[in-house]
Amino acid sequence: MTLAAENSTAGTTTQPVVQVTGAWKLHKLGEEVVKALVDADLTVLPGEFVCLMGPSGSGKSTLLNIIGGLDRPTKGTVVINGTDTATLTESQFAALRHDTVGFIFQSYNLIPFLSAVENVELPLMFEPYDRAALRRRALELLELVGLGHRVDHSPTKMSGGEQQRTAIARSLISNPKLILADEPTANLDHRTGATVVRLLRDLCTDLGVTVVASTHDPTVAEEASRVVRMKDGAIDGTA
Amino acid sequence: MNTLKLGLAYGLLSTRRRAGALVLPVVTTATGAFLLVLVLGMASGISSQAAALGHADEIERAVVLIAVTVLLVGVVEVAVSTTRTVVHRTRELGVLSATGVPRPPVVAALLVEPVFASVVGAVVGSVAAVGVAAVLGATGAAASGVSAGGITGGVVLAVVVSAVAALATSIVPTWRAASRPPIRSLSTGV
Repeated sequence: MTLAAENSTAGTTTQPVVQVTGAWKLHKLGEEVVKALVDADLTVLPGEFVCLMGPSGSGKSTLLNIIGGLDRPTKGTVVINGTDTATLTESQFAALRHDTVGFIFQSYNLIPFLSAVENVELPLMFEPYDRAALRRRALELLELVGLGHRVDHSPTKMSGGEQQRTAIARSLISNPKLILADEPTANLDHRTGATVVRLLRDLCTDLGVTVVASTHDPTVAEEASRVVRMKDGAIDGTA
Repeated sequence: MNTLKLGLAYGLLSTRRRAGALVLPVVTTATGAFLLVLVLGMASGISSQAAALGHADEIERAVVLIAVTVLLVGVVEVAVSTTRTVVHRTRELGVLSATGVPRPPVVAALLVEPVFASVVGAVVGSVAAVGVAAVLGATGAAASGVSAGGITGGVVLAVVVSAVAALATSIVPTWRAASRPPIRSLSTGV
């Protein structure tokens, strides 16, 4: 039974981590208006592993970007952990992301001139934390993702799977409630992809982190607690 | 204030680690500084020689025009190289914004490299110009002579103008890039 179902049966009123209501995203390409997201509604409860599935151009990444504030909806509301993001400035949204959201990108987006451990520290590098404590935490997270032996390596000398696991460790450094993963296995071979997906699932089951991932990959969907299908920018069904 | 300091610390770290990326902006800035220092070093000699020939005003105007042109070319060179640096680091800026790092330290971090490259370039160009001026003075190759005052003024002007130009031309695009939704930096960054 998924956590969402348990909450429902227990009759509790758990606050959703994500609540998207009537979200649209329109892009203007010359004279043409492209509907990247069409009237999307999505509620994600704490501890869920929700998988957004659909073909390219179905709106998965757009929805994910809108949830994380990397992009803003043309219309509709996005509430993250009880905060309505409509009125937030970019700085306020950055602060919300910092405290609540961790990102994992398809292309990893590690900083090439920083070592693995420095990349993990990056989101907190600009804050007056105790440097030794920050380093210990980053090392713990690299151990957690099985990269304890690669801490000083540059991303350019790491495999795709190692880079993605470093990105997962980075996404966890601020103890976020929500991880947003955009096609986390797309650049990985099947076996490495499966390792990354299991890692994401373990974040939900062991650490209680909520994960929303967009993917084409059926192995991600197999591990998810809920699959949301998308087509032509709209949510097509939930399983 | 503390976060700004940490932003500058990150900027110094990235400047050190990206030393290879500094070569082009340093060379570009050094070229402008070299010309500026040399022109200003020779300006007073040319002016006094022109005065002796009775064409002081015209030559003075020509020298000022050349100096201003060299200065403007130098500023444009600095602007081009700093803009290039900012464009190349747009994706990094997007990653920092996406991970929730506040805007002021991000901007401070990304300003260190262009300012550092410009100042180093200005110093390198000035040193080269001083060397060439010394050789010209010693060999008598510069008939009008080279003045120490002009050289000193040129060095100060080259360093100050390079630093200010680098700061002025990089702060606006960096601040603007840090102010927009991060997806635009992540998708357009190199």
